[in-house]
Amino acid sequence: MPFLAFAQDEYSFDISEIEKGIEKKPYSLGGYLEFTPEIFRLDHDAAFYKLNFYNRPEKDYLDEYNFKLSMNGGYKQGISEVYIRSNINITESDIKSRTTVTIDEGYMSVKPSSIFNISIGKKALKWGKGYAWNPVAFVARPKNPDDPDLALEGYIMASADYIKSLAGPLQTISVTPVVIPVYEHVNSEFGERDNTNYACKLYLLLYDTDIDFMFLKGNSKSDRFGTDFSRNMTSNFEIHGEFAYIDDITKKTIDSVGNKTQTIYDAKSYLLGIRYLTESDTTFICEYYRNGTGFTGEEMEGFFGLVDNGYNSYVSSSDETLLNTANTMTEGNYGRPNPMRDYMYLRISQKEPFDILYLTPSITGIYNINDKSYSFSPEILYTGITNLELRLKAGFLAGPDNSEFGEKQNDYRIELRARYYFDAANLLD
Amino acid sequence: MRKIIIAVLLLLLPSPALAVDGNSLLLQVDRNLNPDSYESYKKLINIEPNGKKKEFILFTVKKGKDKVAAMFLSPASEKGRSTLRLGENMWLYIPNVGKPIRITSLQSVVGGVFNNSDILRLDYTSEYNVEKVEDIGGEYILHLKAKTKTVAYDRLKMWANKEKLVPVRIECLTETSMLVKTIYFKNVKDFGGGIVRPAVIETDSPLYKGYKSVMIFAKMKERKLDDEVFTMTFMPNLDSLR
Repeated sequence: MPFLAFAQDEYSFDISEIEKGIEKKPYSLGGYLEFTPEIFRLDHDAAFYKLNFYNRPEKDYLDEYNFKLSMNGGYKQGISEVYIRSNINITESDIKSRTTVTIDEGYMSVKPSSIFNISIGKKALKWGKGYAWNPVAFVARPKNPDDPDLALEGYIMASADYIKSLAGPLQTISVTPVVIPVYEHVNSEFGERDNTNYACKLYLLLYDTDIDFMFLKGNSKSDRFGTDFSRNMTSNFEIHGEFAYIDDITKKTIDSVGNKTQTIYDAKSYLLGIRYLTESDTTFICEYYRNGTGFTGEEMEGFFGLVDNGYNSYVSSSDETLLNTANTMTEGNYGRPNPMRDYMYLRISQKEPFDILYLTPSITGIYNINDKSYSFSPEILYTGITNLELRLKAGFLAGPDNSEFGEKQNDYRIELRARYYFDAANLLD
Repeated sequence: MRKIIIAVLLLLLPSPALAVDGNSLLLQVDRNLNPDSYESYKKLINIEPNGKKKEFILFTVKKGKDKVAAMFLSPASEKGRSTLRLGENMWLYIPNVGKPIRITSLQSVVGGVFNNSDILRLDYTSEYNVEKVEDIGGEYILHLKAKTKTVAYDRLKMWANKEKLVPVRIECLTETSMLVKTIYFKNVKDFGGGIVRPAVIETDSPLYKGYKSVMIFAKMKERKLDDEVFTMTFMPNLDSLR
């Protein structure tokens, strides 16, 4: 029987079209094309504005246009498969014109059975149950809490999955060992070079609760151990949490005159969150995050003071020394997303309000408990046109002087993201 | 006289056989809807009041009473997404996000009237007990009550064809007997391998006036599957089963 055909009632289906849809091909090729115009309202008094714009003409607004082509493709032969995901990003604005090409993932995997598979290559492995933050994501790049669903670039690694299903309260057990080498041209951003690092995750589905235990050991980063859990309490209420212990982490701080300090200590990071769906289809995601590796208010004030002093030096004597010093402390340190200690995250989204199908308005707030600054982001997502996703999003930042969100480069930003998905495999026939 | 009294008392006693028959009837309905372990393709169509349609194609596998997984094959925006259900545990895997997350049965991954528990439907016997069976001539009406609070609909009222023992219509009700949606089973087809069942499931809801969702089943066939297929770790690899 080739396929079921229906040509009665109000349904009529083109058999060949459906068969094409389910036809198994050895290759796949797809992705999306994205255009995101953005406008930023700049905050002239903010530390990060001074740091990034000190040698440019003063501006109130910054327009930016982002084009992105994300493509993924794969080829399967027997139990083997190769997969690649790459991006081309083009950014145009008054202050920068940049094109980058990245290979986010590219690996070969062998899947001899449903119990075991092994992969070698560049792969993004995301561990953790948190929505906005994942302190136990030991082998992943940090995600952006402002857009946590964005695909991330992976690391070159060898990894495997062994899965076993059981009867009884322990329903599933799986083990994921990972090896990550770090050398001059291999994963150099991961940590200290010329080391091989080992990580492993043990997953259990026990009494209807997802539980993970994981560790990372090696000399590229300090050793770390973690656990997480997630459980549906009812059909509309989920709780989750993560805990990470990082042994001998090195924190680099700087004071307002440029004196650098290194502190070595054991850090504990954790997260507790819920996801709740109301009868009217409103989803609440709420998380508390304790970042044990984060800066105190005093440490942040030292950095902001340095930028202020550097800016004043530049204005008075064109001396860039302190600003250059501040810049070296920004990347992956003071400039990383949510660099302080205690945060609350709340996202409220309403599915299809007023019976408008495929429309989801949301608001997201991130509150820095330590310095009482916050970001507030309303957005509207529309997915009513097949393969087209439209998102209008604004982001407002506010806080007192010397606070995380108060010292960001922008007061607010508005962006419209149009993303068109395509499946090009059929074109190869 | 004593015999008459005993006979009357026996007639007045609730019949334990009826409850047993109700549950075994439901079990037969389950087996007629699908084999114990199978694979299938589904086309899902959301129809708006103005006639506008949005379509999805899914590959589905199911094993036993409470294990079911599905992966989206189209449209391109959903391709590779997979959902897994183990009893009342549900997860969604989105390739871009890169890790499975827990979802709830009342959410909908596709929008429209069908929610996750409709798309990843388990055997009715795994979630419901039969409280009462009515015989109304050509059809039975089965009154079902959820075994636990975590089931998406507290009560179901199922009209089943007496001859074919497959559902014709199901009303999904809340604990307070409020109608959430009605599911209609249409087009009984022979899928081969002894599977004869409705190929079209249509649903509407007073909560979504004018909207309709339709599910069309195709290429349903019995298949032996490892338990490990129905695990969170395997979700990114569901396509390897096709």
